[in-house]
Amino acid sequence: MGYLNNAVITVDAILTNKGRELLARGDGSFKITQFALSDDEIDYTLYNPDHPSGSAFYGQALENMPLLEAFPETTQNLRYKLTTLPRGTAKMPVLDIGLSQVVLKQGASLVITPQTLNYLGANQVFESNGYTATIADIRTMNTFEGVGISNVAADSLNSTQTLGTNVSKTVVGTSINLTSTTVNTLFGTDKTQLNTSLTIVGRDSGARITVPIVINKSTT
Amino acid sequence: MSFKRLDPQDFLISADSIVGGAWTGGSATLTSFNKSSAQEASDSGNYYLSVYQTAATDADSEVQFNIAFGDSAGSGSLLFDSNIEGKSPTSAIFGQFQNIVLGDENANFVFGGTTPVTQSIYAITIDRARFKGNLFPGTMTLTVGSGSVASNDTITLTDDSKAASSVSFNEAGRVFQLLSGSAGTITTNTITDANSNTYEAGYTPSGSYGLFLPDIGTIILNTSAFELPYASGGLGLDTNLASNTDGDNNNVLFNSINDSEAQSFTLNSQEALTSDFVFIRARNSEFNYSSNPSFISGSTGTVLYEDFINAPQTFITTVGLYNDNNELLAVAKLSKPLKKDFTKEALIRVKLDF
Repeated sequence: MGYLNNAVITVDAILTNKGRELLARGDGSFKITQFALSDDEIDYTLYNPDHPSGSAFYGQALENMPLLEAFPETTQNLRYKLTTLPRGTAKMPVLDIGLSQVVLKQGASLVITPQTLNYLGANQVFESNGYTATIADIRTMNTFEGVGISNVAADSLNSTQTLGTNVSKTVVGTSINLTSTTVNTLFGTDKTQLNTSLTIVGRDSGARITVPIVINKSTT
Repeated sequence: MSFKRLDPQDFLISADSIVGGAWTGGSATLTSFNKSSAQEASDSGNYYLSVYQTAATDADSEVQFNIAFGDSAGSGSLLFDSNIEGKSPTSAIFGQFQNIVLGDENANFVFGGTTPVTQSIYAITIDRARFKGNLFPGTMTLTVGSGSVASNDTITLTDDSKAASSVSFNEAGRVFQLLSGSAGTITTNTITDANSNTYEAGYTPSGSYGLFLPDIGTIILNTSAFELPYASGGLGLDTNLASNTDGDNNNVLFNSINDSEAQSFTLNSQEALTSDFVFIRARNSEFNYSSNPSFISGSTGTVLYEDFINAPQTFITTVGLYNDNNELLAVAKLSKPLKKDFTKEALIRVKLDF
């Protein structure tokens, strides 16, 4: 991965894997209608409001940093979106799923119903457009589905099958149903745990949370 | 909200013309001409001869152009069936180009106002990957020799696109005459025959040297002009027009191009590159907060610095273009972070090439 020349501001757009897929499909689904901005790669702890030279220099460490080139992998871009919120917002929307990690036995089920805190003036709210949930390794689940949202976009995403080397899966819903795998093969001969991760993003707020998932092998 | 809808005026489609060397690696001049004995010996070798920029066995070798010979009577190659006159690979080639260039199976090739009695042609077809959109008129210089070690005679050929006052069209698109000259500049020398007839500069007593057809990446050569003696503008090429005989005429032209005194073929190609421009407009009140985990402190969502409550600053690094299903179709990275706050508006032009 190379660094872009930062002498001038330029934008170099590439199609993502999803973009290529939809372009090849030729059914009109490749139609750009909206945009989002993100600040991936920015570490705001480098922002220095105590800079002795004044406010013009607070963001000095961030403004001049080189950036990596774009990735075609859809899930690795725009992870942290910029959002439009009223001036004076003291708390950013954050997701709460009531768990810091998901631990399941083989074949066990769990329903995750995310809530968004600090959004639209409410302490906690269920986003009307629901949440997208992406599991990094779908092989660890017998069931991984989103429920509660039915529209073209959600139905399309929820019905997508994982094929070939695509081991991640994304669904949409207000709740996410998980049932861990009962297949022993993935554990091999000596492993007692499977590990993966679950990323949930609020479709309205852009708030995001990633939690680890642990599947414990049944010994009986 | 993280997404903002684009308006129709945010889109612009632009087509730019890109011109470059036609040959492998973007080279404009080809100086090494190689053929494949395997291709020559195959069935396709009865019809055409592929020419490579390096030895055909090299891993990097690529077909640059093909040479084919066509004759209306099927002369110069073995008949498909010795009992059926006129049906041979050369008649198939002739009919092929008659169809795509003239659009009429009864029409004759006319070269610079002259219709050769013997309707036979050489065709140089530039490989599709080389000519891209079309050949770029006015850039061609093809040097051909006699193909004989006993002669150092060569002529250089170019198209008359720069000199022509108007552009002619036929079934194959634009048509330019192939004349003596280089890089689109026609020679000022004229030819006078034994009867003291003087011909227009660049032409021969048999008309032009051929037709330059940029839109189909093809050059048709007038066999009659090349058979003329050097003094009459030709090279005395010995095209074999015997019936039911493998004349190996593809190699006659190959040897002429690969003559040690020649070996130079300059040509540019052209393609139209269509780009979509999308103008991303972030108003002063938009995109001033971030879901970046380093923008907040702790798990409560409190912004990292007190300054960020009323004067937040974000740093745009990435632009994502989405469809109605919130599927990320294209992504653009800025070369350096762009500061955004309530006092700034951002206008970013995103270019998408297809």
